[in-house]
Amino acid sequence: MIAQSRAELLKIRSTRTTLGLGLGMVAIILLFVILAGLLSDLNGLAGAENERQFFGTGSGSGLFAALAGIMLVTGEYRFGTIRPTLLFTPRRSTVLNAKVIASVLAGIALAVTGEVLAVAVGEVILHSRGVAVDLDRHDWTLLTIGTVGGTALWGAIGVGLGMIVRNQVGAIIGLLAWLFLVENLLFGLAPSVGRYVPSQAQNALMGFTTDHLLSPAAGAAVLVVWTVVLCVVGAALAARRDVS
Amino acid sequence: MAPVVRAESLTKRFGKLTAVDNLSFALEPGTITGFLGPNGAGKTTTLRMLLGLAAPSAGQALIFERPYAQIERPALRIGAVLEATDFHPGRSGRNHLRTLSQAVGIPDSRVDEVLRTVELDSAARRRVKGYSLGMRQRLGLAAALLGDPELLVLDEPANGLDPEGVRWLRDFLRRFAGSGHTVLVSSHVLAEVAQTVDHVLIINRGKLVRESRLDELTATIGGAVIVRSPQAEQLADALRRAEIEAIAQDHRLLVHGTTTERVGEIAAAAGIVLHELRTEESSLEEVFLELTAERPE
Repeated sequence: MIAQSRAELLKIRSTRTTLGLGLGMVAIILLFVILAGLLSDLNGLAGAENERQFFGTGSGSGLFAALAGIMLVTGEYRFGTIRPTLLFTPRRSTVLNAKVIASVLAGIALAVTGEVLAVAVGEVILHSRGVAVDLDRHDWTLLTIGTVGGTALWGAIGVGLGMIVRNQVGAIIGLLAWLFLVENLLFGLAPSVGRYVPSQAQNALMGFTTDHLLSPAAGAAVLVVWTVVLCVVGAALAARRDVS
Repeated sequence: MAPVVRAESLTKRFGKLTAVDNLSFALEPGTITGFLGPNGAGKTTTLRMLLGLAAPSAGQALIFERPYAQIERPALRIGAVLEATDFHPGRSGRNHLRTLSQAVGIPDSRVDEVLRTVELDSAARRRVKGYSLGMRQRLGLAAALLGDPELLVLDEPANGLDPEGVRWLRDFLRRFAGSGHTVLVSSHVLAEVAQTVDHVLIINRGKLVRESRLDELTATIGGAVIVRSPQAEQLADALRRAEIEAIAQDHRLLVHGTTTERVGEIAAAAGIVLHELRTEESSLEEVFLELTAERPE
């Protein structure tokens, strides 16, 4: 398992896909922090909840971790490397677990980068606009756990989703449609259901206090359940399906 | 000695289509077997089942007497290439091999060694995107060799190779088998592997139609000798006196059950001029085509 995980990490590191995803993430997070920091009026930036959401921009890393997880699986089917991979490691659960581990580690790296960036740039902007940061140690702790832990789980979710869908374009479009359409519609129209979607569970874990959100602990539990369910379904399908 | 590869009533169905139909065969250690049949005969499906990538609908596929997935670190005993193009185009050839070697604890020094074996060491750090088809074929082979296997399974390895590449592959496989190793190599063209293999397994429509040593298959054909002469009729008479039957075709004779040497000697003794004397190379191919011909159900 450890050897396979090293191999999976090498797969992540040895193409430019990851670099591209990382740069994309940095650009998006910077864009959002800068836009939110410079365009919001001062009332929109002051106060604990506003600042949690402002500094929580770093959790945009979750999307990129999920994409990296999807690519780590679907790239193998797209380019056929799944064949040599399984010839060397025929036990598919070993390959899947190793991919989850590698993707979680990649997610942590992305999250730390994203969060450090969001906080550093965000602090500079708030300071320059004369906004005092209202967050206490508890807020920062939840924000960090929610961003890093949540993004790590998104990495695993990407692997599970990739195993289920296998088609790269399909998995990516499915993820984007889910994140930007289904989750928002559900949370907007039926928050009692919508609060259980992964992104809102992560928002709860980050300590956001938006109406209808779960508690941080419940948010963590829900996000873990999503991750486990997707990975278990993915593993069950991987064990049964033939590789062409 | 236990067979290296054994298929027992191996069957694979996709819905109504039976791609592999009750196939049984065994490969002895140290043999090079050509796994032959037209495209769509079920060769690749059979290999996928042998290598644990697809599950049989019935029967079993065993390597070293076990299903592939139950072999501990199989890459150390079995090397296989199913597709020549199974690479991430943006990854270097060397890193492609390392993603495999690291999974089973093979050191990087072995990666560099197999890169030299397949003569890719100078291109090893370039991205696969820029490799020619021949280079990709060799990189695939390098991956199969990483674990220093006893058995090589190659699916259509000569596809898309230029003549030089085909010769390189043939020499390589001979060296590999020469050291007591076993090879199973599939092809839809018998001629491609006829100079390499010593056994043939011929399948058609998922069924085994012939399993034999190549020389036995050749012997059943009788290795026809083609001889062209302006005095074809006289030569046919001379051959007949030596109890050799010849079939006349214009100025050519088709002679079965003899050698070019014997025909040449008889012609010389009778003072007959020859314009051509050779063994009919395509007769093996004709048998193959005959065995695998489409027949109405």
